[in-house]
Amino acid sequence: MKARLLGLVVTAGMLAAGYAFWRSPGTPGSIASNEETRTRGGQLVASIRAVPRSFNRLVAREQTAELLSLLTQGRLVRINRSTFQLEPWLAEKWDASPDGRTFTLHLRPGVTWSDGQPFTAADVLFTLQAVFDSKTESVVTEQLTIDGKPITAAAPDDHTVVLTYPAPSGPGLRLLDALVILPKHRLEAALKDGTFTNAWNSATPPADIVGTGPFTLREYVPGQRLVFDRNPRYWRKAADGTQLPYLDRIVLQVIPDQDAELLRLQAGDIDMTQSELRPDDYVAAKHAESQGKLKLVELGVGPDADAFWFDLKAEAWKKDPRFAFVSRREFRQAISHAVDRETFAENVFLDAAVPIWGPITPGNRIWFSPNVLRYPHDVNKARELLKGIGLEDRNGNGVVEDAQGHEARFTVITQRGIGWYERGTNELRTQLARAGIALEVAPIDNGALIKRMLSSDYEAIYYRPLTTDLDPAANMDFWLSTGSGHFWNLPDEGDGGVSPGAGLVRAATPEWQARIDTLMTEQAATLDPEKRKQIFNEVQKTFAENLPVVYFVAPRLYYAHNARVLGVVPSVQRPPALWNADLLAVRH
Amino acid sequence: MLLTRLAPGDITANLGAFAPPGEVARTRARFDLDRSPVAQWGGWAVRASRFDFGDSFLYNRPVGALIRRAAVNTAILAVAALAVATLVGIPLGILTGSRRGVLPATVRAVSLVCLSVPPLLTSLFLVFLASRTGWLPPGGMTSVDVIDASWSTWMLDVARHLPLPALALALPLAATFERLQAQAMSETIRQPFVVAAMARGVAWRQLLVDHAWRASLRSMCAVYGLAIGALLSGSFVVEYVTAWPGLGRLMYEALRARDIYLVAGCAAMGGVFLAFGSVAADLLLFAADPRVRERQAA
Repeated sequence: MKARLLGLVVTAGMLAAGYAFWRSPGTPGSIASNEETRTRGGQLVASIRAVPRSFNRLVAREQTAELLSLLTQGRLVRINRSTFQLEPWLAEKWDASPDGRTFTLHLRPGVTWSDGQPFTAADVLFTLQAVFDSKTESVVTEQLTIDGKPITAAAPDDHTVVLTYPAPSGPGLRLLDALVILPKHRLEAALKDGTFTNAWNSATPPADIVGTGPFTLREYVPGQRLVFDRNPRYWRKAADGTQLPYLDRIVLQVIPDQDAELLRLQAGDIDMTQSELRPDDYVAAKHAESQGKLKLVELGVGPDADAFWFDLKAEAWKKDPRFAFVSRREFRQAISHAVDRETFAENVFLDAAVPIWGPITPGNRIWFSPNVLRYPHDVNKARELLKGIGLEDRNGNGVVEDAQGHEARFTVITQRGIGWYERGTNELRTQLARAGIALEVAPIDNGALIKRMLSSDYEAIYYRPLTTDLDPAANMDFWLSTGSGHFWNLPDEGDGGVSPGAGLVRAATPEWQARIDTLMTEQAATLDPEKRKQIFNEVQKTFAENLPVVYFVAPRLYYAHNARVLGVVPSVQRPPALWNADLLAVRH
Repeated sequence: MLLTRLAPGDITANLGAFAPPGEVARTRARFDLDRSPVAQWGGWAVRASRFDFGDSFLYNRPVGALIRRAAVNTAILAVAALAVATLVGIPLGILTGSRRGVLPATVRAVSLVCLSVPPLLTSLFLVFLASRTGWLPPGGMTSVDVIDASWSTWMLDVARHLPLPALALALPLAATFERLQAQAMSETIRQPFVVAAMARGVAWRQLLVDHAWRASLRSMCAVYGLAIGALLSGSFVVEYVTAWPGLGRLMYEALRARDIYLVAGCAAMGGVFLAFGSVAADLLLFAADPRVRERQAA
C-alpha cells in the first residue's frame, strides 16, 4: 500500500514537474524567469543604423521593418529565434491533416488590436488576401507560394482559420513566421483602392498604426529615433501572471555609424544594438565587460558566411574566353584548395571563425551536414587541377593562362567600408596568387554592387548574402536555378524566376544543378523531417562538389548589451535580442 | 543633383536586391529617374522656385519639412561652434600676434595641431573621450529621458549635448582664427599709427584692444563668411559621428541612399547658409571698420 502511495506521489510529482516544464519559457502565454527577478517598468534604449521606410512589413523588406514588426505586430505562429522551434502565437493550437496540406488553426481568444478592436479570423483572411493581391507586390508572396500556387484560407468561425496548402510542404506552418497579421479594419480600404503598398509608410501618423505586438509606436522623429510604448492590450502574460511586456518603453535611436554605436554602448548611452560585434570590436567589448558595463555573449557560429563566386551566367561573359575555365568546376575547386582557411580565419576574422565548405554553416544546427567534400589547403593540388583544365604559367609571370594566353586574372568587387570584406578580398588575392590566379579588388558602394550583381555586370563578387530562415525550404530562391536568389547565375525574365518550388529547370542548367533543383523540390514537399534531412544532405554534397559559390569560413558571433538589461535570449539571427522584446526588462 | 544622378547606383538599390520590377519602375518614375538628367533638373528647379523641393525617398515626406528641421539644428550647432571659435581663437590670436615667448609659441603649436587634424578624428576622439569619462553625452542632440520633459528641461539637455559636436567643429576653426588674427595683429602693430600711439604713451593693453585689434579686424571679418561655409561642410562628418540631427548628417544619409531630391534640398539650404555667412561678414566689416562706413556714406 505504502509503495503504491509512494508511486502515486512520485507520479504526481512527475506530472507536476512535466506541467511546470510545459509551462516553461518555451511555451508562450506564460513564461517563467530563470534569472534575476524581472519587474515591470523602465525603458530600454537600442540603436538602429537605418531608418524605416515603411511600417508595413508585408511590403517592406529592410531589417528595420522586420524589427518594427516584431515590436508592434503578431504572427499566427513564430519561429523561436533561439531554439528555432515553431511556437504558437496568435494561434494557440492547430491540427494538421495527415497529407500535410490542411491546417486548422485555433486563434487565441481574447486578443485585441492595440486600438481595442477584437482580433478575429477575418484579419487573417484579409492579410492573406493582401499578400496574394498582385497590386500589393508583397515581399512575402514568394515565401508563401507553394508549387507556384498560393495558400488558401477559410474561416468557419471568428476564431478558427483553415489553411489549405496547394501541395504538401516540408516546413509546414513554419512558413507562417513570415506572415505578419495586419488589421482588416484599418487597411481594408487601402487594399480595395490599390494603395496598400503605400499604406503605413514612414510618414503615417503613429496613432494610425495598430498591432497585436507588445509595443505601439508613439513617435517617429525622422532620422533620429522611434519611441514605442507598452501596448496595454497585449495578450501575453508571464508565468507569475505579470502582464507583459515588462518594459514601459523602448526607444530606437538612429546611429548610422557603427564606431559611434559601439562607443555609445560602452558609455551606457544605449543598451543594445541590432547586430553582432565586429571581430575588431571584441577586445573593447571584453574590456567593458570586465568593468561591469557590458555583458558579452557568444552566440556561436553564424548561420551566414562570406561567399566568393564568379558570374556563371554564360551570356554575361559574351565571348570572353576566360568563361571556358571559370565555368569548369575544377577551376573553382582549385580556388577552394588554394585557400588556407585557418590563416583566412586568423587574418580576416581575427581567429573568430571556423572553416566551412558550403553555404550551410555549423551555426545551422538542424540542417548542417559535415559529410560534404572538403578541400584541404594544398597549393600543389590547386595547380594540378588548373593544369588539368589547361591552365599553366607558360610565360613565368606568376599567373596561369590557357593555351591561347588568356590569363586567369579577374576583378572581384566587394562592399566598400566593411572591414572584413576588404580584409577578406585582400587575403584571397594574396592566397590565390600562390596558385597563379590573379585578383584585382574593387570595393564599391553597396547599392552599386547590388545593381551590378542583378545585371550580371561583374566577374567575381565577395559578399555575404543573408538567409531569411534556417529551413532550406524557406530559401528555395537560393537553391533553385529558377529562383530570384540564385545570384551566381540569375534566371532571366520568363525563366520562372519568381516561382521557386515550381520545379522548373532551365534548358541551360548543368546536370548537377538540375539534380539540386529536383532534390530541393522533393525536399520541400516531404513531410518526414528525417527524410528531408537526408535529401538536403545530398543537396549540400552536390553543391560542395561543384562549388558554384566558394565558402571559406563562418564567423563566430559575439553580442554585447548593457549589463542592466535582463532576460536577453540572444539569437544568431538579427535582431539578436529584440526578437524577444516582451520578455526583456531592465534593472531599476 | 547631377553628380548624384551620375554616380553608380540609384535610389532603387535601397529597395533591396530582389525588389519586383514594378516597384523599381514606380520608384524611378516617382523620382523622375526615367527622364533625362536635364529634364529632371529643369522640373525640379521650377518646383523649387515655389519652395517645393520634392519628396524624400528615405523619409517618405516632403524635403522642405525635413531640411527646415535639420537646418535649425545645424544652425544651433554652428552658432555654438562659431561662438567658441571666436571666443577662443581671437584672444589667443591677439596674444600670439603681439607677444613673443613660451606661451605664444605653445599656442601656435597647438593651433597647428588643431588645424592639421581632420574633424573626423577630432570628433571620434571626443566621442571616445566622452564615452570613457562620462563627462558629456557621447552623441545625439537630446537624451531619451526628456521625451516627456518640459521645454526648459529639454533646453538644458540640448545644452549638455552641444559641447561635444561644437568643440569638434570649433577647434580647427578656432585655430584658423588664431592664426589669422595673429598674422593681422603682428602686421598692424608695426603700422605707424600704432607706433605713434605708443609714443603718445597709450597703455599697451588699450593700444592693443582699442587701436590695433579694431584695425586688424578687416581681414578677420572677410574670413567669417568662409568660416560659416566651412562649418557647414565640416558638420557633415561631425554630425554623422556625433549623431547630431542636422543638415550635414541629413545630406550624408541622402547621398548614401542616392535620395536625389533630399540631396538637392540640402545643397540648396547649404547655399542659403553660405549667402547668410557672406552677408553676416559684410555687416560685421561694416560695423568694425570705419573706413567701410565712410566709403558707404561717400
